[in-house]
Amino acid sequence: MARDILVLVEHAGGKVDSVTLQLLTAGRSLANQLKTQLIALAVGHQLESVAAAIQHHGMDRIVIVDHPALALAAGEVQAQVIAEAARQIDPCFVLIAYSLVGMELTPAVATMLGVNALTNCVNVEFRDGAVTVTRPVFDSTQHVHVALDENDRAVIALQKGSFAPIEATSTQAPVDSVSIDVAGIPARSKVLAIAEAPAGDVDITKAEIVVSVGRGIGTAEKISLIAELAEALGGVLACSRPVVDVGWLPRERQVGASGRTVTPKIYIACGISGAIQHLTGMRDANRIIAINKDAEAPIFGVAHLGVVGDLFEIVPALTKAAKEAKAYRD
Amino acid sequence: MNIVVCCKSVPGLVTNLNISPDGKSLQYQGQLLAINECDEYALEEALVLKKAHGGQITAVSMGGIKSQDVLYYALAKCADKAVRVDCESQDPQVASKVLAAALKQLEFDLVLTGTQARDTLSGQVGIGAASRLGLPFAYAVVAVEVQDDKTIRVQKELGGGRHADVELSLPALLCIQTGIQPLTFVPPARRIRARQQPVRSFSLPDLGLQADELVAQGYRIVGVRPPERAHQVELLQGSAQDIAAALLSRIQESR
Repeated sequence: MARDILVLVEHAGGKVDSVTLQLLTAGRSLANQLKTQLIALAVGHQLESVAAAIQHHGMDRIVIVDHPALALAAGEVQAQVIAEAARQIDPCFVLIAYSLVGMELTPAVATMLGVNALTNCVNVEFRDGAVTVTRPVFDSTQHVHVALDENDRAVIALQKGSFAPIEATSTQAPVDSVSIDVAGIPARSKVLAIAEAPAGDVDITKAEIVVSVGRGIGTAEKISLIAELAEALGGVLACSRPVVDVGWLPRERQVGASGRTVTPKIYIACGISGAIQHLTGMRDANRIIAINKDAEAPIFGVAHLGVVGDLFEIVPALTKAAKEAKAYRD
Repeated sequence: MNIVVCCKSVPGLVTNLNISPDGKSLQYQGQLLAINECDEYALEEALVLKKAHGGQITAVSMGGIKSQDVLYYALAKCADKAVRVDCESQDPQVASKVLAAALKQLEFDLVLTGTQARDTLSGQVGIGAASRLGLPFAYAVVAVEVQDDKTIRVQKELGGGRHADVELSLPALLCIQTGIQPLTFVPPARRIRARQQPVRSFSLPDLGLQADELVAQGYRIVGVRPPERAHQVELLQGSAQDIAAALLSRIQESR
């Protein structure tokens, strides 16, 4: 039995999502250790630019399923196409991004293939003779390490940012296609349209200083404390998902997997525990400062500088100091 | 429109965390069991759909007797009926198989659940059950609109602020994202009254399932520990004023 590794390419609008290059790093390393091939699978329509963008990125071949019906295919159809392609390619492991798109596809593909899915993984490696994954559990406060049985097949869904992107080489992977009767797949759902992110009043991705507020702020009124700090530092106000969910700030301010990804010079997290969905949106900031009352909060795992304390004491003191320094400079 | 809402009971604080002897699950003491957050949003959406289109809401939870509290909460909030599926597997494949079998016993036009449970963080059971039943599905749904008896339109998140509009034939399953509706407050009196209502219970044999076909396979948990930190965080200490001064000078250095 081949123990090949198959990586599902995530793409939209002819562009490859950066997470795909991270999956290829993980896949290449596994394929080398297991002495097998790394194969990329792209499913969609008009995939020339997608194939061209990754062809030099470490895989042994690219398999393409191109069909007009896949330009806007519903999850159930995409999953069946991916499962059928996987049956034909016959890999041992299928690597998928644990993005919102991959989170919809992974359980469906695994169920159709009759294999396990290990989701939300932040690492996969060959260790002590077994392919082993690391998964955050319990609100990301613990990591569980799971060793897969030898010869067991699985779909492994990896978090964004778990691996560095793979480097391009001069070797160009050949492109294959598999034949799948896409039109014959019965569909009970269809994608009508895809809408890009609406432009809001503010673009938090452009700011050099982002001051971000989380659930720890407690009430809508107190957000003004964080807004004042952002203003005093010349930065923008952003937030984690729970703050948007309860309607305290608009969605364009949200940092994280379902919101925006920011890479400012300075990111200040106030009262944000650091769920993995938030971390994927800000972990590449140059300098991360976290203020949280819980010393065990996962945010301290990515922060460079931390304060374990009450944000209602620290933030006003910092705002005051910033205002005084600014007045002195002016 | 008859709606089934699948809601999970999840622990707040977890202590004495260990790996089970067979390596298939985690053992722990969980305190403050509560409804999983996105499942509560699924309940809220069901409540809004019921107000607009009528029908009955059945809350379903899989778990031991302790998870019954979540069903009483669902009854207090909006559910007409409650069903507990007596199975405590942490394995997502097993859980989706059992949930699919339970759904087969119920009449519904729509199944709503959350995107991910905060304890296992797997996010697999909803879509897994839909796939087993051949139901169309959508994940991370942020808006639901009923077209007619047979069709709904939903908006789902694709990440980075992008959305897709999807049309699904009923019956269908939706994984509801947090924030889809404002959460409503349940008065304590209603919560007390809800405890008088019956909760139906399904055992595995009721669902035509044998325990031996529900064994987690293919893996073994080899470790559980707090995350290794990429780098050591430098913690600032002192009075609020001292910390503020130190933070400000470090911020100015990093500009």
